[in-house]
Amino acid sequence: MTFQIILLVALLLASAAAILAKDLLKSAIALAVASLLLEIIFFQMGAPYAGVFEISVVAGLITVLFMLTIALTKQGDDIRESKTVKIIFPLFFIVFALIDFLVMRGILARIPALEAAAETGTFGDVLWKERSFDLVGQVAVILAGVFAVLALFRKRDHHD
Amino acid sequence: MIFLYIGLPLAVAAVLPLVGKASKRVLPDFLSNAVLLGLLVYATTGARALLAQGPIVQQVRWLGEAVNIRIALDGFSLFMLMTIQLVSLCVGLYSINYMEHYGAKANYYALLLVMVAGMNGLVLSQDLFSVYIFLEVAAVASYALVAYGLGAEELEASFKYLMLSVVASAAVLVAIAILYGMTGALGFDAVADGLRLLDANAVVGVAAALFLMGFGLKAALIPFHAWLPDAHPSAPAPISAILSGLLIKVSGVYAIARIFFHVLGMTPALSQVLMWLATVSIVVAAFLALGQTDMKRMLAYSSISQVGYVVLGIGLGTPLGVAGGLFHLLNHAIAKSLLFFTSGSVQQATGTRNLDEMGGLAKKMPWTAGTNLVGSLSIAGVPPLGGFWSKLIIIMALIQSGEWTLAVIAVLASVLTLWYYLILQRKAFFGKLAERWTMVKEAPFWMTAASVILALLVVGVGLWFAVVFSSWVQPAADALAKGF
Repeated sequence: MTFQIILLVALLLASAAAILAKDLLKSAIALAVASLLLEIIFFQMGAPYAGVFEISVVAGLITVLFMLTIALTKQGDDIRESKTVKIIFPLFFIVFALIDFLVMRGILARIPALEAAAETGTFGDVLWKERSFDLVGQVAVILAGVFAVLALFRKRDHHD
Repeated sequence: MIFLYIGLPLAVAAVLPLVGKASKRVLPDFLSNAVLLGLLVYATTGARALLAQGPIVQQVRWLGEAVNIRIALDGFSLFMLMTIQLVSLCVGLYSINYMEHYGAKANYYALLLVMVAGMNGLVLSQDLFSVYIFLEVAAVASYALVAYGLGAEELEASFKYLMLSVVASAAVLVAIAILYGMTGALGFDAVADGLRLLDANAVVGVAAALFLMGFGLKAALIPFHAWLPDAHPSAPAPISAILSGLLIKVSGVYAIARIFFHVLGMTPALSQVLMWLATVSIVVAAFLALGQTDMKRMLAYSSISQVGYVVLGIGLGTPLGVAGGLFHLLNHAIAKSLLFFTSGSVQQATGTRNLDEMGGLAKKMPWTAGTNLVGSLSIAGVPPLGGFWSKLIIIMALIQSGEWTLAVIAVLASVLTLWYYLILQRKAFFGKLAERWTMVKEAPFWMTAASVILALLVVGVGLWFAVVFSSWVQPAADALAKGF
């Protein structure tokens, strides 16, 4: 229990650091750390597949993509954020944490404990046989993403 | 084969960019409109006949083997499917001329078809997680479509839309996670059964609040409306039409109705919250629309206000109220798409959206002016057009349940609606033609044709409202009411 609380608090801190860090590179690293912590939590709670995806895609692939993008961007064109962001984010965070604490404490006790079963079937079974409809949706999301990139990065030849 | 509603647009979208290499305009125009027309015809014939025996759940087969894709069709989803294909087809036709200037037409149609597939999927899915996925499919396509013009204004609007929409999706996802955590199920019926066994009102309340926030953002109910007045006017006109006419209704209103009626159960408290949110939207957005000088922005605020009527009817929860709400959904989808078409035609002809600069355009653009008048009057609720009947039914339902205050507010707001639409009509089309617009011409063929089709539908639905109501709206309301 204590270990889990430490993990969760560390996850919060790393996530906040990812938002607050001024340097994009540090931000990306903080995000990767947060994702690593999340992976450990997933693993602990008996969801190894979700953990594996988290670590390979979010901590691995996306971090590399972020770093590459940052490396390719020119130095010196940093954008100034308005100063209110610095006040608003912590304020929201505190308010949200308070609500979370008050509401969730009351609610968590009422949620019936499901039987703690390990994930049924292999990953392939679940993905291909049980959640086939989601795959169609996934294909559609990927298509939408690809077309969006094609559309937004096209040459502006005709538009006036 | 109902899966075609998801599969066909996706498959065609996947090949369109390749087709676009061979033929930049003609083939993409033809293919995408043919798909939408085919699906519309199927919705009104084949799928309707299928439904005659009652709601169906279809299992998809792939190479002779059943795969675990089950799609559910009942009166409510069929009604939504018909509305989606109808408006999308007109949007497709309008785009033939309108999107000429933007370039990369094949890519545009591909995104449009993915968005349609996402909306169809949302309407046909019967579990919470699929709802979330298809919500995202339609949303991702719409972000790109809003920014399609690539101008600074478009990109900013799209980014704002993206940010608020992500918050909405996150809220929906958390709510789904809570329900899954409690019941261990995702299917609508399974979750509803699971919740009935548990005595967990507080948790259901939190989930309901999160759904309300998420789908409220998607439906742009006040106070969740900040993104809409930027995103809808900035998009290309056909996309404004599909966003205002369909997307806010499918990913907002449909999802709210489906989940609150069939999964969580409509409680009196929830009903009150929905009705008051709706009433605030109706009134505040109507006043905001009154102050606009940007033609499309006025229409965008009007959308918020009119979606308020839809939610008011559905939130009331009585059979008559639900039917009125759904009927208004159809009427508003048709009329608002029409108005965005005509405003697009005006913008393309004059190069401005500012109402103060226009005037007297009816002399130069008679078709556009005429169809615009039909659409405006329908939304304002002038008899005998479609919008009049649906507003009448909603107000009758309110009075029937003793909600006098809301009924009076709804009537007064309708007067406001008429007021700002008359301002729009007068400033843009009536009066003296300004010197600078003497060279303006009527919109090209397909743009005018799409507007005329929709205007005829507005009049047709109004004149034959009894037929439309009993054959489309009533079955939809009955299907929704089964969840009581």
